[in-house]
Amino acid sequence: MGKKSPEAAGRRRRMMYRALALMLAAVLLLPLVPYAVAYVGGITNPNPGADLWRQVRQRETPPEVRTQVRGVDTGVLINARGESWRQFRMEQLIPWSGWFLGGMLVAIALFYLLRGRIRIDKGRSGILVQRFTVNQRLAHWFMAVVFTILGLTGLVLLYGRFVLIPLLGPEGFSVTAAACKEIHNLFGPIFPLAVLLILFYFVRGNGFRGVDFKWLAKGGGLLGGHASAGHFNMGQKLWFWGTLLFGLSLVVSGLILDFPVFGQGRPVMEWAHFSHGIAAVLFIGGAFAHSYIGTLGMEGALEAMTHGTVDANWAKEHHDLWYAQMEAEGKVGAVPGQEAPASSGSPETAGG
Amino acid sequence: MFLDFVEGPLWYAAAAVFLVGVAWRLAAIARAGLKEDLSVPRTAGAPGAVATVFRRFLPHREFMRPAAFQMVAGYAFHIGLFVLVLFAAPHVEFIEQRILGFGWTPAPHWVFLLAANFAFAGLLLLWLRRMLDPVLRRISTLDDHIGTGLTFVVMFTGCMALFESHDFLRALHMLFVDLLLIYFPFSRLMHAFTFILSRGFTGATMARKGVSA
Amino acid sequence: MSERFEQGVAALRRLMDARIVSYFSSCVHCGLCAEACLFYTETGDPKYTPIYKLEPMRKMWRQENTFWGKLGVKLGLTEPLAEQDLADWETLVYDSCTLCGRCSMVCPVGNDIAYMIRKEREGMVAAGYAPDGMKEATRRALEIGSPMGVTLKTLRATLKGVERNTGLAIPVDAQGAEYMTLFSSMEVVNFPEYIESIARIFAAAGVSWTISSEAFEATNSGIQIGDSKAAGELVGRVVSAAEKLGVQYVISPECGHAFTAIRWEGANLIGRPLPFKVIHILELLEQLREEGRLKLEGHTDIRLTFHDPCQIVRRGGVVEQPRQLLREVATEFVEMRDHGVMNWCCGGGGGVSANERAEPLRLQAFQRKKKQLDELGVETMVTACANCRIILEEGIEHYGMDVQVTGLTELLAEHLAGPAES
Ligand code: HEM
Ligand code: HEM
Ligand code: SF4
Ligand code: SF4
Repeated sequence: MGKKSPEAAGRRRRMMYRALALMLAAVLLLPLVPYAVAYVGGITNPNPGADLWRQVRQRETPPEVRTQVRGVDTGVLINARGESWRQFRMEQLIPWSGWFLGGMLVAIALFYLLRGRIRIDKGRSGILVQRFTVNQRLAHWFMAVVFTILGLTGLVLLYGRFVLIPLLGPEGFSVTAAACKEIHNLFGPIFPLAVLLILFYFVRGNGFRGVDFKWLAKGGGLLGGHASAGHFNMGQKLWFWGTLLFGLSLVVSGLILDFPVFGQGRPVMEWAHFSHGIAAVLFIGGAFAHSYIGTLGMEGALEAMTHGTVDANWAKEHHDLWYAQMEAEGKVGAVPGQEAPASSGSPETAGG
Repeated sequence: MFLDFVEGPLWYAAAAVFLVGVAWRLAAIARAGLKEDLSVPRTAGAPGAVATVFRRFLPHREFMRPAAFQMVAGYAFHIGLFVLVLFAAPHVEFIEQRILGFGWTPAPHWVFLLAANFAFAGLLLLWLRRMLDPVLRRISTLDDHIGTGLTFVVMFTGCMALFESHDFLRALHMLFVDLLLIYFPFSRLMHAFTFILSRGFTGATMARKGVSA
Repeated sequence: MSERFEQGVAALRRLMDARIVSYFSSCVHCGLCAEACLFYTETGDPKYTPIYKLEPMRKMWRQENTFWGKLGVKLGLTEPLAEQDLADWETLVYDSCTLCGRCSMVCPVGNDIAYMIRKEREGMVAAGYAPDGMKEATRRALEIGSPMGVTLKTLRATLKGVERNTGLAIPVDAQGAEYMTLFSSMEVVNFPEYIESIARIFAAAGVSWTISSEAFEATNSGIQIGDSKAAGELVGRVVSAAEKLGVQYVISPECGHAFTAIRWEGANLIGRPLPFKVIHILELLEQLREEGRLKLEGHTDIRLTFHDPCQIVRRGGVVEQPRQLLREVATEFVEMRDHGVMNWCCGGGGGVSANERAEPLRLQAFQRKKKQLDELGVETMVTACANCRIILEEGIEHYGMDVQVTGLTELLAEHLAGPAES
């Protein structure tokens, strides 16, 4: 690899920062669009209320409210936006996101029926190539576990009323919801660590390059024809950056919700709540697709994340440029300690 | 009902199994016996034993790097767990009312939160590494996973029951606590006690040789 | 079940002392010991994890000392220790462990893994599973008196050469001498310089010493292979020779396991305290220097480093003496990154050097030392163990490196002050 000049590197870094900031702003703000629509829509119906009522609800000019109670939002008598917040959550967010996640599953099922499992065309060669280190795999599964715990408990909070009350009854749901709320709030602060670990261990090799756009144009090889890729293909790179950006969005909004001790008022909380809900649902949808392609969808992919190695033929078919590089470095087949021991210790209870 | 059972009969049974079991395991070590070492020591063994018990809380300077992960994740988990077990408000209350008859000031909520985060993150990382690292995969046994899993479930249910809003959640937590106590003496969780003996034995032998181990 | 296997099982059962039971009970399977072991770090193969080398003994512990194990074996759910296990583990226990004890320094629960492997070997030998090379060495040690087959005749021939070179009379069987010296066969055959050196130094320092014609061999193959009976027999010879000559001290030479054998295991092997004190040659030299009896002059300005023989330093407690001595005669003494009690083994200790089958693995493990040396960029390495020295020289040659190896005692003899140097 040729050395790049420091200025060029600096310029690229600056560009990357800027692009990142833009994308971050986008994920933080985009979820607000439907909310804004709902909000604007929500106030168009004329309200025949009296002036006083209008004052109390603080729809237009915020009056000079004085109160002995000191604290955030204590001057607000009735939070008018709270109603549209509730309305949006019940009437838009919940059904729409439900359709989205359900649609995602259907799309994956359809894809499976049409395309089937993506097999290793040439079969397995039996030669292994090291793909991910222990630390990379550790970071990945840490993220996956924490994400799954947060996602499941979060979904219970989002849909529980509709899905679980009929199943568990109100008492059963009350218990489940309480438990999920505690777990979600507790695991929340662990999530940023997972995001950081992913960033640290996967950022290398996830920068965008020319081949990635060709890969994208060819639909990742699904549209026929071979799509070249390095260590990561465009799909994976998008998922990596998506993980970071959605992750960051969830972290920021989640922490605002979890720790209402920094003086954030209701508007901020509402904003955070929507941001959080929408980003989470999109992220979960992405995770469906990602988990599918990582397991059932593609032969030979999962072992990259469990054992850290892939078959040489898999590498050639899906990441030809990376494979060529590994071959040039003499790293194909050089995986220590792969042969089975003479007699491996079988699983057993070994305590006392 | 359920709560009464897991906090009543099952709790007493579990505590008894735990206490008797641990005592029996320690006695078994003593019973195995140790031959007197007839070589002429350079320095006395006993102080060396004590020193090594403490010294091994940190790796040797030369070994900091290879041990870094285990040290960070290990301490995050163990210290977190220690704080949770001994200083969570419901635990202090339980200890006061059911075990010792006296209590102490529980940790404030934010300390609890922090401890739980550290404990969960540490345990998860350690457990995942056990499943991913070829060395750990080779030497781990079913017992390691049961022990870790039970500990995880106990912490998990404990956090679910955090505000003691539902008896069912408290009972669930208590059930797993009981199971953990029963499993403890028969498992490698015993290291919580025997590490003192192991370090002591090694520390004494090495001190006799004039090496601080 | 064969009778030999039964004997192996019986040996393992007998050796399951409080330490080992505690160690197995404590092991949390954290895997840290792997990072300490050069056979793992240089191959990356998880089967070389130190605690994994103890699977046979762990099975034994499980089925005899644990609840689940006993229950499992009774119900037929757990496989008890089988002869095949010993056969499968022979190479792990012997070829891939030098008993260097580095792993024992890092275990967070404090397990002395090297001690356990040493004991496990007792069971392996009893059951007949030990490398031929080591069995042969032990047989020769018992029958001829030296694992390399060095006889009294060979020694006398070497001594004659020493006398010629030094112009000094070498005392043999001198009744009432203060010190009795032992040598390793390797020194008698390959490094007579060592014998010459101590002859010169002792003459200059006025040390009253002797060699016994009945027991001059310091090495103890029984210790390495794990045969306490053989080891006891070999120590017994030294003890009776020393008693006959009435010496107060026995000097252990520049040989690692020989020191462990007599200094730390000797009394336990014969079942009574030794009737003399054991002192390592480096301890003695440093003591003589401190007393002003060993006078050194001049120094070498070559950049050099010291390779710690595991059994002398980490497992023997002679840590500072070689460094003190070396600083006296070398101005440019530099330490390797991991040194002293955290040194890396040469790869040939614990009988591995006597085990031809292990050579390829041993050379692979030597890469650790190579990395250490490359990092320092030194061209001279001093050590204090004839076995380390041979192994280091072989490794250096194999990897085409440009490093000289020399013994510390020899280096000191070269800087001996006064008339002894002709
Ligand atoms: C730093 C990380 C996170 C923190 C601090 C956090 C915190 C929170 C909090 C405080 C709530 C409100 C709970 C309530 O209504 O009582 C919530 C809701 C939720 N969270 Fe998270 N969360 C985090 C990460 C995640 C992740 C990674 C996901 C999913 C992938 C997720 C999915 C959800 C969902 C679906 C809801 C329900 C939204 C709703 O009820 O409208 N969260 N989160
Ligand atoms: C739970 C089921 C999951 C499975 C089966 C799975 C499987 C995989 C596999 C097989 C790979 C390696 C692909 C390759 O060979 O390049 C991978 C990479 C990755 N996964 Fe997952 N994963 C799961 C969940 C998650 C979750 C929940 C996240 C994040 C929220 C995540 C984030 C990543 C990232 C960032 C990579 C790095 C490679 C890339 O840039 O695409 N995974 N996963
Ligand atoms: S370092 Fe100690 S506790 Fe860890 S696996 Fe090795 S022997 Fe067991
Ligand atoms: S004693 Fe040395 S060679 Fe043997 S297992 Fe331990 S570190 Fe490895």
